[in-house]
Amino acid sequence: MNYKVTPLYEECKKLGGRFIEFGGWYLPLQFEGIVVEHSHVRQKVGIFDCSHMSEFVVEGKEGISKFSSYSCEDFLSLPVGKCRYTALVDTQGVIVDDIVGFKLDEQTLFIVGNASMREKTANLICGLDVGGEDISDELVKIDIQGPKSRDVLLSLGFDFVKDMKFWTGKECFWGKRIMIVTRAGYTGELGYEFYLSQDMGIEIWRMLTANPLVKPCGLGARDTLRTEMGFPLSGQDIMPGMTPLNASMDRFINWNHQFYGKDIILKQKEDNTYPRLMSIRTYTRQAPRHGQRLLSDGVQKGIVTSGTFGPSVGTGVGIGYLESEVAFPGTQLQVEGKDLRVEVCETPIYKNGTARVKFS
Amino acid sequence: MYPEDVRYTETHEWIGEEDGLYVVGLTEYAQEQLGDVTYVELPEVGRHVRQKEPVALVESVKAAEDMYAPVTGVIVEVNEALEGEPELINFDPYGRGWCFKMDDIDLAQFKRLMTREAYEKYLKSL
Repeated sequence: MNYKVTPLYEECKKLGGRFIEFGGWYLPLQFEGIVVEHSHVRQKVGIFDCSHMSEFVVEGKEGISKFSSYSCEDFLSLPVGKCRYTALVDTQGVIVDDIVGFKLDEQTLFIVGNASMREKTANLICGLDVGGEDISDELVKIDIQGPKSRDVLLSLGFDFVKDMKFWTGKECFWGKRIMIVTRAGYTGELGYEFYLSQDMGIEIWRMLTANPLVKPCGLGARDTLRTEMGFPLSGQDIMPGMTPLNASMDRFINWNHQFYGKDIILKQKEDNTYPRLMSIRTYTRQAPRHGQRLLSDGVQKGIVTSGTFGPSVGTGVGIGYLESEVAFPGTQLQVEGKDLRVEVCETPIYKNGTARVKFS
Repeated sequence: MYPEDVRYTETHEWIGEEDGLYVVGLTEYAQEQLGDVTYVELPEVGRHVRQKEPVALVESVKAAEDMYAPVTGVIVEVNEALEGEPELINFDPYGRGWCFKMDDIDLAQFKRLMTREAYEKYLKSL
């Protein structure tokens, strides 16, 4: 076995984590149980060790400008502190990874990508053209997610979360030590992401897990939470060769911005016959499963890319990669070889998430 | 954890006699491995099944597994409570989480299934 572990591995083991392999890493699938952890995030606070994710820094306006030519968002003109979710693309407009980026100051762009795509993304960002730096190995990432996350963090003295608006990020001081914090997440709930040195990471993880409102959560709950929200997983839903439109990332394309492959993507948009990712759900507790074929009148019209039971919606939920003629809410499809129907539905499937809640 | 008065299969079903019928469920080990059970598809009542034939589907948040007939026989009753509360398999695998009942079973096959002692030894070998 040659898997990487995060700096929080021993901590997660002590807490009873059950581990699985994921993208070359050995990570906790669950602690107490997937459904308990899922519900705890929807109601209180769950924390996730996301140190396997990759982080990059691009310095200087020229670098940021060059980086932006590979991204569907213009990070050069984006105001400092505002986060953007978008696609990193190659010269053909094909997705390399989906990323979150924001500027720490006018000269410094911070980028977060997925573990499974780290090498490809690093090749692009750290290449001569952009000149960025891969700082993934230095950082512990802890996601603190749930409607009570702000209360818990304030009670522990993390005062800087008080005024943070949804989808913002900044450098913060905790005592004399510096960390990067975003108000963002992958669960649909109010939440924050902490990017920390390894020492701080272990210290803060321990503080958080000692809090009675907080439960440690694994990849299992992360998967059910994000699937209920219709958030795609890079390398699973977002598959090799897909453009941002195939990944239904239309909303995250800045059409006023020039980037590689834009012409190809624009043509695809005008044509409008491209297959795309859509949320799906079943009518019972039975779940659609990754890889199942989806049929309409006996003809294949798509494939299930993610599927699970959705604890907060009470039915099977998933994401399907569907031909354009069936890719609209309300369409019913049959799962091949099973007595199971799915309905294409609006994203998110779970509509009561607290991610955008405002504080006065 | 593993009752004495039932027999066990290598695919982690248990089967025990109760009022002349044979009750079948999943073992503690099986429910532990599956995690939260979210859906169970039970066999049709009246169906004749052969030993090791897949007869039910048990889904959890992370997996979907077939459940096999521990012996040849007839399905005579299924646990309809599992439709609304599949998690009974997790909370009470030998009690309220039973899956189906069989009749007219092959008693010779039944007697050849693992005892508790043999099953516990088998689990250690996994």
